[in-house]
Amino acid sequence: MTSSAVDPVQLEQVRQRVFLALFIALAVALHAVEYLLPSPLPWFRFGLSNILTLTALFLYGPRAAWTVTLSRILIGSLLLGTLFSPGFLLSLSGGVLATLLMTSAFSLFRPHIGPVGVSVLGALGHVSGQLLIAWLLIVRHPSIWLMLPFFLLFSLISGIINGVAADMLLEFLLKHPAFARLKKIGREQTQKIDH
Amino acid sequence: MALGSALRRLTLFDRYLVVIFALLVVVSFLFPFSKQPGARVVVDADHRTVYTAPLNENRTFEVSGPLGDTRLTIENGAVRVLSSPCPQKICIGMGEAHQAGDLLACVPNRIVIRVEGQAEGESYDLLSR
Repeated sequence: MTSSAVDPVQLEQVRQRVFLALFIALAVALHAVEYLLPSPLPWFRFGLSNILTLTALFLYGPRAAWTVTLSRILIGSLLLGTLFSPGFLLSLSGGVLATLLMTSAFSLFRPHIGPVGVSVLGALGHVSGQLLIAWLLIVRHPSIWLMLPFFLLFSLISGIINGVAADMLLEFLLKHPAFARLKKIGREQTQKIDH
Repeated sequence: MALGSALRRLTLFDRYLVVIFALLVVVSFLFPFSKQPGARVVVDADHRTVYTAPLNENRTFEVSGPLGDTRLTIENGAVRVLSSPCPQKICIGMGEAHQAGDLLACVPNRIVIRVEGQAEGESYDLLSR
């Protein structure tokens, strides 16, 4: 799988791009499935695509995480036909706040924080971002904040589940030789190659 | 158990974060946000509004439903049910309604008592897209 005739730095860069593309595709698929699943509570989503954002964050760093999240939101909403709709605005604001919180926490607390912690913060950011934009732009009625406790509880649980899933995925991926040159950023010193 | 191995994936920092978040959740449930003071009482019989009154004037009145008359009173900025012909008297047990959004109901007599705040009537209550 590894070619000795190619410049290793370039190889790693290409690998990173290919894997990010795969992560984005998976994230879009998960997002679409979640959106299409019938549910009695339409706004309460697990946010499984966040698992891929977390994986990108821990393998390749904050820029990769932003790439995965923003691409997933754009492509996902394009696919589902919700691009530029109010739902898209909510998704975007939630995603942006979530990724902001995740990347800052990651950069600030790097060796101590794990995927579950970052995921929980991401879930918090997602839900808060959505409620904030919903309040500011769509429903100007203050009783919207009555939903906050339920959203927070749900986001805590889904944050933990996503974090554990991301941790399992990272553990699994790092065993594969394609990722042999980078160790998981955060737990150990990294040989990460930046472009 | 799977739960134990899942929990081992949380670092010490993660555990603190989860605990803090859980506390935040509990606090958010207990903190009564955005409850505005009520301004008027609206009584619906059989889903039609039959009576409205301001919450700040003391008053006793009756509203009729299929089982009979339900007596209500507005006192000290709160509305409650005094008597009702229903078999279980749950509406009386519901106590007082005084904040915007609070609800009392006598289901057998098909009476719903709502407290509305100042701003309501102007903002839309449904958005469809």
